[in-house]
Amino acid sequence: MDEHEEEVARSRGRSTTEPPHYQVQKVREALAHDHRVGELELQVTIRGGKVMIAGTVPTQEVRDAVTTVVREVLPDAEVLNHTTVGTFPAPEGAERL
Amino acid sequence: MIRIAAAGDVHFGLDSAGSLRPHLEQLPDRADVLMLTGDLTRHGEAEEAAVLAKELEDVTLPVVAVLGNHDYHGDQEKEIREVMEGAGTTVLEGEGITIEIGGRRLGVAGTKGFGGGFVGANATDFGEPEMKAFVQLTKELAAGLEEALEDLRDTDYRVALMHYSPIKETLEGEPPEIWAFLGSYLLGEAADRAGCDLIFHGHAHRGTEKGITPGGIQVRNVAQPVIQRAYRLYCFEVEEGEVACATAGEAAQAGAAGSVTAST
Repeated sequence: MDEHEEEVARSRGRSTTEPPHYQVQKVREALAHDHRVGELELQVTIRGGKVMIAGTVPTQEVRDAVTTVVREVLPDAEVLNHTTVGTFPAPEGAERL
Repeated sequence: MIRIAAAGDVHFGLDSAGSLRPHLEQLPDRADVLMLTGDLTRHGEAEEAAVLAKELEDVTLPVVAVLGNHDYHGDQEKEIREVMEGAGTTVLEGEGITIEIGGRRLGVAGTKGFGGGFVGANATDFGEPEMKAFVQLTKELAAGLEEALEDLRDTDYRVALMHYSPIKETLEGEPPEIWAFLGSYLLGEAADRAGCDLIFHGHAHRGTEKGITPGGIQVRNVAQPVIQRAYRLYCFEVEEGEVACATAGEAAQAGAAGSVTAST
């Protein structure tokens, strides 16, 4: 939004910054499409200038990349990366059908 | 006894080499067949499938898979299928396979499936061509599954393998607003009409493991984030005195000793 657009928006009572409601989807899309992450199923919450990401990622490298990608989309936001690296053990028993 | 190992959404990337190997080494002691319910790759690239294929190529038991939505993302679904089949994995789309296990015949029919939602909150092929195409695709894939299941009628047990969910109960935990993108009643209807003994699906990472179709077929969502295990084990025809499957510890011991002690 350039200066003129901001002035028009302000004069009409509209927000001059993008509402977090839409930023959430921008972050989700970046996390899905960016090759460093590629995760479609992470939960994204934006409140009070903080971006919280939760869910499971396959490796520590992907977990680190989550923070990087979110910072690239929202440089001014504080990133709370609550993702966990999923390492799944073998099952103990079997289900009889 | 027929022992099935099932897992979904392994999401292999270029950095995933070795992540399944310890489990696969134990698997022949614990299961007769491995079923993968799609999202074999992270970005839908053949190179990623090659990492998984390399992991699976030494597995001595049959591996049957369907593709998932991630496997279509890079427009390389055909190449992914070729890579997987090159490593001995059977990839099903509107097709079936019969596997002989201890004198019994296990039929497996598979489809990726697609979305559309569930009765009362489902898409209809009405209006814009895009909406018609969306619903039509699910109908076509469901019809392919039904036909494949019908063709397996002479087997002792039939399993339907899909990525998208055939019922909404195994989606519990996911926001209801997105259920229409996670599955379709058309898949459940096809399975109920043709008949089968068990349905595996994945895709819904925050869903629930167990459910049942309106026609009474047991459904298991085996997406790894749901089962919180590398795979789950399911057994048909466990007879009195039989151990359903070796525990992980027993399998590890058997592997170390170079012998098979499971399920006698």
